[in-house]
Amino acid sequence: MMLDYTQQHLVKMVNQIASNVPLREDVAGQIVDHVTRFWTPTMCADLTQIGRDQPEILAAEVHAALALLETSTAGA
Amino acid sequence: MNKPIEVDIADLDLGTPLRLSDSTVTVLIDGTPIAVPAGTSVMRAASLAGTQIPKLCATDSLDAFGSCRMCLVEIEGRKGTPASCTTPCEDGMSVKTQTPRLDKLRKGVMELYISDHPLDCLTCSANGDCELQDTAGAVGLRSVRYSPAGANHLDAGTDSSNPYFSFDASKCIVCSRCVRACSEVQGTFALTIAGRGFDSKVSPSEENAFLDSECVSCGACVQACPTATLQETRVIDLGVPTRKVKTTCAYCGVGCSFVAELRGDELVRMVPDKQGGANEGHSCVKGRFAWGYATHADRITQPMIRDSIDSEWRPVEWSEAIAFAADRFRAIQKQYGIDALGGITSSRCTNEEVYVVQKMVRAALGTNNVDTCARVCHSPTGYGLKQTFGTSAGTQDFASVQKSDVIMVIGANPTDAHPVFGSRMKRRLRQGAKLLVIDPRSIDLVRSPHVKATEHLQLQPGTNVAVLNALAHVIATEGWVDEAFVAERCDTASFAAWRRFIELPENSPESLAEVTGVSAETLRSAAAIYAQAGNSAIYYGLGVTEHSQGSTMVMAMANLAMATGNIGRDGVGVNPLRGQNNVQGACDMGSFPHEFSGYRHVSDDAARELFSALWGVGLRKDPGLRIPNMLDAAVSGQFRGIYIQGEDIAQSDPNSQHVEAALKAMDCVVVQDLFLNETSKYAHVFLPGTSFLEKDGTFTNAERRINRVRPVVPPASGLSEWQVTCALSAAMGYPMDYASASEIMDEIAALTPTFKGVSFELLDALGSVQWPCNEQAPEGTPIMHAQRFVRGQGQFVTTPYVPTDERSTRKFPLLLTTGRILSQYNVGAQTRRTANSVWHAEDILEIHESDAELRGVAQGDWVEVSSRAGSTRMRAHISDDIPAGVVYTTFHHPVSGTNVITTDNSDWATNCPEYKVTAVQIRPSASAAAPA
Repeated sequence: MMLDYTQQHLVKMVNQIASNVPLREDVAGQIVDHVTRFWTPTMCADLTQIGRDQPEILAAEVHAALALLETSTAGA
Repeated sequence: MNKPIEVDIADLDLGTPLRLSDSTVTVLIDGTPIAVPAGTSVMRAASLAGTQIPKLCATDSLDAFGSCRMCLVEIEGRKGTPASCTTPCEDGMSVKTQTPRLDKLRKGVMELYISDHPLDCLTCSANGDCELQDTAGAVGLRSVRYSPAGANHLDAGTDSSNPYFSFDASKCIVCSRCVRACSEVQGTFALTIAGRGFDSKVSPSEENAFLDSECVSCGACVQACPTATLQETRVIDLGVPTRKVKTTCAYCGVGCSFVAELRGDELVRMVPDKQGGANEGHSCVKGRFAWGYATHADRITQPMIRDSIDSEWRPVEWSEAIAFAADRFRAIQKQYGIDALGGITSSRCTNEEVYVVQKMVRAALGTNNVDTCARVCHSPTGYGLKQTFGTSAGTQDFASVQKSDVIMVIGANPTDAHPVFGSRMKRRLRQGAKLLVIDPRSIDLVRSPHVKATEHLQLQPGTNVAVLNALAHVIATEGWVDEAFVAERCDTASFAAWRRFIELPENSPESLAEVTGVSAETLRSAAAIYAQAGNSAIYYGLGVTEHSQGSTMVMAMANLAMATGNIGRDGVGVNPLRGQNNVQGACDMGSFPHEFSGYRHVSDDAARELFSALWGVGLRKDPGLRIPNMLDAAVSGQFRGIYIQGEDIAQSDPNSQHVEAALKAMDCVVVQDLFLNETSKYAHVFLPGTSFLEKDGTFTNAERRINRVRPVVPPASGLSEWQVTCALSAAMGYPMDYASASEIMDEIAALTPTFKGVSFELLDALGSVQWPCNEQAPEGTPIMHAQRFVRGQGQFVTTPYVPTDERSTRKFPLLLTTGRILSQYNVGAQTRRTANSVWHAEDILEIHESDAELRGVAQGDWVEVSSRAGSTRMRAHISDDIPAGVVYTTFHHPVSGTNVITTDNSDWATNCPEYKVTAVQIRPSASAAAPA
């Protein structure tokens, strides 16, 4: 499945966040903290869907973050 | 003995500058005692005592010069008649300012001046506003014994080359006030006195015309001139103004205070306000002169609508335009959902105007999809300073720089982009402060008259964080950390983690020299200079923020300041030089999609309930879309309508093609602006905005100073912008019933802890205040984090350097970086509609000689600049201000469309575009036109 411009941008953004969060420990937690503070729920949901459809284009830490995000959303 | 008297000195010219001293001396001026700081001149003491000593070469913005011999006085126990301007007061000194001997001397001197001055007072443009005329009257001159037939300067001629002022040499008394203003106040040293004796004359840059000289048209010389020699063209054409209104400039983040001087309802001139806290009587070419756009023929003053962007605009009444926009917005939300709409606030609008737009979006549209043009400039400042210090604001007032021993300028060009602060900075540098410049480009400060950078770290674009890490590494490993400050004021756990990180060998200057392009020796030298001075201050601009690691870099600077204890007092700090006049205010007012006013997250239940209760509406707790995400969603078809207040995103935002595609995809684009612009090509509703001369409200400048913006003339469209926003909000079903802008500020104060004490009444009484302004600081806070950080303990954040994805390649081997020039401003909507275009009629590409030669490009040639985003054409200017491998341009002109070539790379934390690094190729081009 081809990603549209918006989806490509989301992927780029989250991978960039994964590379840039300050600490190399708990990168997934820092990603979750960042996207829940600054992204809309729709953007988070779109990212989750991309993670399911094309997991290979997301950094490993992002997958861990999506799992955390899913857990926190389910618990909310 | 008489009691010392108190005088309101606000509007007096006291003749010589204020002297600060811990001790005071008391002198008798014509028998009246006055206590003044030691070092104060007799002239100033006399003025404070209520006695104006005649003067011509003296004015309180300039150091005493003692040339005109008009201010002579007698001092008991001393021989002769010393000049009061150059004579300091001594305790117990008894001064006589009026005696028959002094009268005779002054008349004699004045007679000589007048003997070589045109006797055309009645028809002179300065009639009624001339110190020479006033002083001749004050000394009682009634006749002149010398014949005008002798040698004179009456035919010396007029230089009218400058579009804003003229120089009539026949009226010059060679008092040197203009020359001194150019050097002492502005720091340009463009003027000098050429010749000697009778041949002495004011000379711009070795006897050039003003326009051809190094003069930067700041107006300081015009302001200082005591005669009609240097006079605004508007005054010559229209006459001396008859009424005044104090207000605030609409250009950069310095936020200069001005006195608008009018005849009736016609603005004659803008004069910098001596009492203005930000500018203290100084100005630049934009604020002083480039306000003619406000009455430009291109102004749109009637609302317009159209069914589609292919249709012609149809001028309509306000009610029809508002109803049209509301109908479309309602239809969009009905079909696509609440979040299909959003808004953008403008940093060129007042706090009150911005506040009502974000309120309308959150309360009337029911979404948090509101963002501001600070997204594309200082959003990383908001993120970075909040993480480290606890709030998004510069730490100092502008005056603080006068106490700095070291000034580090990073990614900023103050003499062009923040010129009035640049002049203040240069003054301190001339006094001996050391200067460190971190910039790929050799900005003016690196080497200009009487100013030279101690170190210029000419780094590769995109390597800011690497440079700061190297500096911090040296400071940490050399033992230059202020351990006591860190232990007392900072979070020690975060400091320990930061220290472990920064001391890693990979952060050493030796490791990073190749990456940054700055030698290890230079990095080590700069670190030593910054860390080992008494007071070191950082000033930065968009060369910091507009990078993929903009937020990281802001935190790196904060780390550096905390580690060395350079926070919380005069002369130090971390200071963003904000691009537009109200960037700080627009951010303060809750323009970001995740924050209410005062930087409180929308998920903060207590804050949200506070707003919800006062606004009487439920509010969302999830963040809204940022501008780039709005544009993405528009291209995807999910985001269908937008309200854009005073921002031309089609020209100012990166990757113009994507912005245009997004705008084109929307069903309703509402633009509120002064002129039809690139963005309005895609708009369905045009709502006329108000120029700063028509606004009533406040701006908050880069030093958190809240200044009043007062209406100088009525709104050309008949309505204030906040009234228009309120009308649209009401049409969307959420009325906002304010009777005045003052009422809006009252609501802001009620909801925003840092603004709690702010009101128009307070601002009118004090002139301005710097937030926080509340019970703890009823008159504001010039220096932040003095006792504790806003967040409590300062937070160190590790800052790993991550190279940008945007790298030079074989296809795009050069790195383009962008910036501003003095005479133009941002997308040029204002300045291009003034005579400022005489200095900068088009954007040009600066290219290093070797890169130009390699491509067969000669000076002034047209070149094609292409990136992976697009291509444009401009003329080349071969310059050694930039290193080989880097090219530079401005973005003031839509024709060149610089942002056609900038990419959609952005800061990882805030999505601030990476304007400062674009890989490009340059090729010779036959002309400005694109090939068919």
